[in-house]
Amino acid sequence: MRLERWQQIPTGTRDLLPDETARVREIVGGILGRVRRWGYREVTTPTLEYLDVLVRGEGGAAGDRLFKLVDRGGELLALRPEMTTSVARLVATRLRGAPLPLRLAYAGQVFRWREAGSARLREFPQVGCELIGAATLEADAEIVTIAVEALQATGVGQFSISLGHVGFLRGLLAGLDLAEPELEDVRALLYQKDFVGLRRLLETQRAAPSHVRALLALPTLQGPGALEEAGRLADTPEVRAVVEDLAALERMLRASGAWDAVTVDLSIIRDFDYYTGIVFEGHTTALGVPLLGGGRYDRLLERFGVSRPATGFAVRVERVLSAEEGAADGWAPDAVVAFENGSREAALACARALRARDLTVAVEVQGRAWEEVAGEAIARGVGRALLVRGQAVVVRERDGREHTVALADLVRPAGEESTS
Amino acid sequence: MSMVTIAIPSGRLLEGAMGTLEAAGYLAAGAWRDTRRLILPGVDGTIRCLIAKPVDLLTYVEHGAADLGIAGKDTLLEQACDVYELVDLGFGFCRGVLAFPEDAAGTWERKSPLRIATKYPRVTERYFWNRGHSVDIITMHGAVELAPQVGLADGIMDLVMTGRTLAENHLVEVAELFQATARLVVNRVSLRSRADAVAAVVERLRTEATQRTAAPSA
Repeated sequence: MRLERWQQIPTGTRDLLPDETARVREIVGGILGRVRRWGYREVTTPTLEYLDVLVRGEGGAAGDRLFKLVDRGGELLALRPEMTTSVARLVATRLRGAPLPLRLAYAGQVFRWREAGSARLREFPQVGCELIGAATLEADAEIVTIAVEALQATGVGQFSISLGHVGFLRGLLAGLDLAEPELEDVRALLYQKDFVGLRRLLETQRAAPSHVRALLALPTLQGPGALEEAGRLADTPEVRAVVEDLAALERMLRASGAWDAVTVDLSIIRDFDYYTGIVFEGHTTALGVPLLGGGRYDRLLERFGVSRPATGFAVRVERVLSAEEGAADGWAPDAVVAFENGSREAALACARALRARDLTVAVEVQGRAWEEVAGEAIARGVGRALLVRGQAVVVRERDGREHTVALADLVRPAGEESTS
Repeated sequence: MSMVTIAIPSGRLLEGAMGTLEAAGYLAAGAWRDTRRLILPGVDGTIRCLIAKPVDLLTYVEHGAADLGIAGKDTLLEQACDVYELVDLGFGFCRGVLAFPEDAAGTWERKSPLRIATKYPRVTERYFWNRGHSVDIITMHGAVELAPQVGLADGIMDLVMTGRTLAENHLVEVAELFQATARLVVNRVSLRSRADAVAAVVERLRTEATQRTAAPSA
């Protein structure tokens, strides 16, 4: 059987059914609820930005990874591939004079153009937060703690945050004593995580041996002993400063209750043109890709004409969803309401009164007979089936027992209710 | 310690990959030969192998369905997946070369656009793009050397081991794009969430590969 175009959705996009949508809302709501308690307030930016804004934020190479559109005047637009650049633009424009630090949160769909055939999503939801205007370790500790709490709020099991620092790699690279073209090659190989090529290049370049050893040991520089090992492998001022910073962060994270979920991991390689300090990723054993990523990016705002240190993270909501096992529990409303001839308006008033008590109520709209409505509702797990009959309401419980109550008792406002 | 899954490519690198795992003591000698199973248990319960098509191999590792994998550098270059490439396992040496029919070997640089048949469209495109030469890539899945003979392409970009296939099809190598051997690759999350178990396998295979390269006659 061949599916027609109208039966399909574009590669890399998803439909979410009610259970999945509810779960996504719950995850996003849980994270936003958590960051709100830290004083972060949500902002909304347009899905579309000028291409120039996004390229300014993400670098020229980003142009290839964007969905682009042409505006009426011929201006190039693009769908945002993440939200930090949009927040940076906002901070540099409408929030330029706002008192610092700014604590901002966001949630929305982001879009990435990719070649067809790869299994990756091209549209997915992201939720995150940014702390702008503070260059301190306290700000970093706050962001890492919130990242831990955000993953806790999602309910994902067995997660951990790997915490590194780009200063370590920077220090190693500076200590290699290589000229710029070779350094560029070293950076490219690190981005590709090609440690075979890296070893080969460094062997031919006669770079400083201790730094070569440290670079090649990078993938294993993680866990409790990583900091000492790093200090031993490369004893330079820059590396010492990083080790001190991470040790101070450890003390703060212990106090903030986040340390149990954090592992020092100097092997984290994230864009070190963009990040300027700590970098971190959130993982769970159930999934081969990170759930969350973030770090300090003190240079981004400069590209928008203001100088603001900043630190933040974003959660890949759909990855949290796919890390969860099993289907969601079957969902059913708390009650369904059917009615006899002549009692339609009474049934509407009854349903309204029940909803006012925070119950989920569905009214029969297909004109089916009571037995059919009640039987089907009880079978799919609805709490109660109600039949409005004049001034009386027949209530069928899940066990099949029925009793009758007066309509007047149900529609009475919640406060005046007699104990039942 | 949880079990580590290693993805092994069927095809060209299968024998070398199995040999490496046997020599490292993870698999019983020849255990893979008499079976059609796609998942093989290791001898000591610390690893299991899954056998995947070479073209799918990095997908397994990138998505974490396998913690580690053995992949040709040619595939790594072509697919540019997000995996850690940690060890050169030393076997499966081959070269990616550009080749043309004998009579065109001297003149190919003057033709534009060139039509090139290959199993490596991205590597080929990048090569010509870097040289500013315009090219039409024809993506194929096998018997690439046939393409010039039937007028499907001007030349080919393909792997060569001995060069015999090229010679038999009257093709002449004009440029080498890359050299490739088998590499040990690791999923980025496995490297962290199962660090000890994964590092143990990596080091054992690294030792094995080093010994082998040091004594090529063995």
